[in-house]
Amino acid sequence: MVYGSNQIWAPWTVDDIHSKADLGRYRIRGMSTHQKVTHFDDLTFLSTGLTRFPLEGYKEQCNTRVELGGLNAENPLVIETPIYITGMSWGALSANAKIALGKAASMVGTASCTGDGGMLPAEREVSDKLIYQVLPSRYGADPNHMATAQAIEIVVGQGAKPGTGGLLMGVKVLDEVAESRDLPPGIDQRSPARHPDWLGPDDLAIKIEQLREATDWKVPIHVKLGACRVADDVKLVAKAGADAIVIDSMVAGTGASAEILLDHSGIPTVPAIVLAREALREIGLYRKVSLIASGGIRNGADVAKALALGADAVAIGIAALIALNCNRDIPEADFEKEIGLPAGSCNRCHTGRCPVGIATQDPELVKRLDPDEGAERVANFLNSMTMELALLTRSLGKGDVKSLEPEDLAALTIEASAMARVPLVGTDKVFGM
Amino acid sequence: MGYYAASQLDGPEVSIDGNAGWALGENLMNGKIALSKNAGASVGASMRGGEMFVGGTAGARAGISMKGGTLLIAGDSGFLTGFMMQKGRIIVCGSVGEAAGDSMYEGTIYVGGDVGSLGADAKYEEPTEDELIELWAELERKGIAGRPKFRKIVSQKKLYHYDTLERLERTLI
Repeated sequence: MVYGSNQIWAPWTVDDIHSKADLGRYRIRGMSTHQKVTHFDDLTFLSTGLTRFPLEGYKEQCNTRVELGGLNAENPLVIETPIYITGMSWGALSANAKIALGKAASMVGTASCTGDGGMLPAEREVSDKLIYQVLPSRYGADPNHMATAQAIEIVVGQGAKPGTGGLLMGVKVLDEVAESRDLPPGIDQRSPARHPDWLGPDDLAIKIEQLREATDWKVPIHVKLGACRVADDVKLVAKAGADAIVIDSMVAGTGASAEILLDHSGIPTVPAIVLAREALREIGLYRKVSLIASGGIRNGADVAKALALGADAVAIGIAALIALNCNRDIPEADFEKEIGLPAGSCNRCHTGRCPVGIATQDPELVKRLDPDEGAERVANFLNSMTMELALLTRSLGKGDVKSLEPEDLAALTIEASAMARVPLVGTDKVFGM
Repeated sequence: MGYYAASQLDGPEVSIDGNAGWALGENLMNGKIALSKNAGASVGASMRGGEMFVGGTAGARAGISMKGGTLLIAGDSGFLTGFMMQKGRIIVCGSVGEAAGDSMYEGTIYVGGDVGSLGADAKYEEPTEDELIELWAELERKGIAGRPKFRKIVSQKKLYHYDTLERLERTLI
């Protein structure tokens, strides 16, 4: 016997079949993929020695401010840290959570983003810089709201479930959320996969132009893609006239997705960034069209590695929610009793029973999240990540995060070398090249 | 007019003499849009309120993802009319193409002519006498001759729920 247990019919596979035999449908969960994929931990920085001089890690200045979407927009999105909070809907999240995220972003000079449910007015009030999403569903879409945004993001796809629209279970489609989305209360909402008014890349160019006119050419137009056929998609989006491209990888998070899509579609963040970078370089638009990466960004090292691979900024979702208290054993919560999983391993955002008041619309559970305290935690986390990013950047002898480059990195595995297109440690060989 | 004529509007009254391309009146919040001739695909896409009138025929996906208001088409409309519509009324005096009302949540589609086929989760419902009288009055106000015996398409609402909770989850909620 080679292994202690059956590798094909593992316990979780048996459980999966039992569950589907009970349900008669695909399974749904939140969070992100369970696949083990190449990620930022498979890369390491080659900090300075005798060949390069470091900056004082804790003292000397390191610029973290970045400008996004300056290609055509009169007012590019300028953020003090290359980390912003990605689109998550009011509906998937409580109003308190949305307010806390917007407030936290403002506290550190960065941006947050609306989501598949329109703009929550209270979110707008606390957000200095708000990215307004234009999604296939157009739930709550309002040109008056869009006119107040600091950037527009057309969502083509989402990394956690590329090729499909959003899911919001009936337990979360309560009165206010249902009304804002023009949906009957209590239904299981399946958002459309395609936009209602445009289909292919040529139409996208016209859609971008329409939104530019609607916003008077003032703000950047971003386009968000689920990372699949990255090289072709990025070229088509850039050619359509986007100012920034958001690549959302297969490890990106969600409040609800069919498990089969979470685990079996898309590509990881590391190759997604590299493919996007090379695609933009090929058409002469690298560093002109901004590149934003999302999916599994957990700390300043992940940010630094994403930037070194070619991203101009990153967007975070799950990490911000964890900072907000997701999966934290707070005194008011009883995870085992209330959600059936221990704190630390909950992925049941879709049930609407979030014990910490984030992914719920239940009036009692919502009270467990104080938006002011939550905002402070998320702001602290964003500041911590930014400090980590600056620390690593200085250790590489650089005074600006925009100077990070692939040459700063080495790969710890052959797969990471091939995907990141950097040498394997201990060799000068880039695999697959 | 080309693509996106009179789109993203809230309040004004717009009158267009001629034809319009794709997505006429997209995301209309409120107000009135009147087109004298034919509209391309996705007329009234995702409109949330107001009134839209097409004097000729409309292309595919008329009233797609519609969230309110009234879309009145004097002629025919194409494939996927009212796809995933959520609220509001689509009145087609002529015929509609395949998959009418596919995956609609709520709202109503009235068709004066033939229906190519019903879409997923759509069904016919008998319009009441009062509904017909109101529809005919609307046609008269727009100068459309005749009193078609409208067929009414609504959602079967079978796709509203998926029993989304697993056995363990059901014990918690």
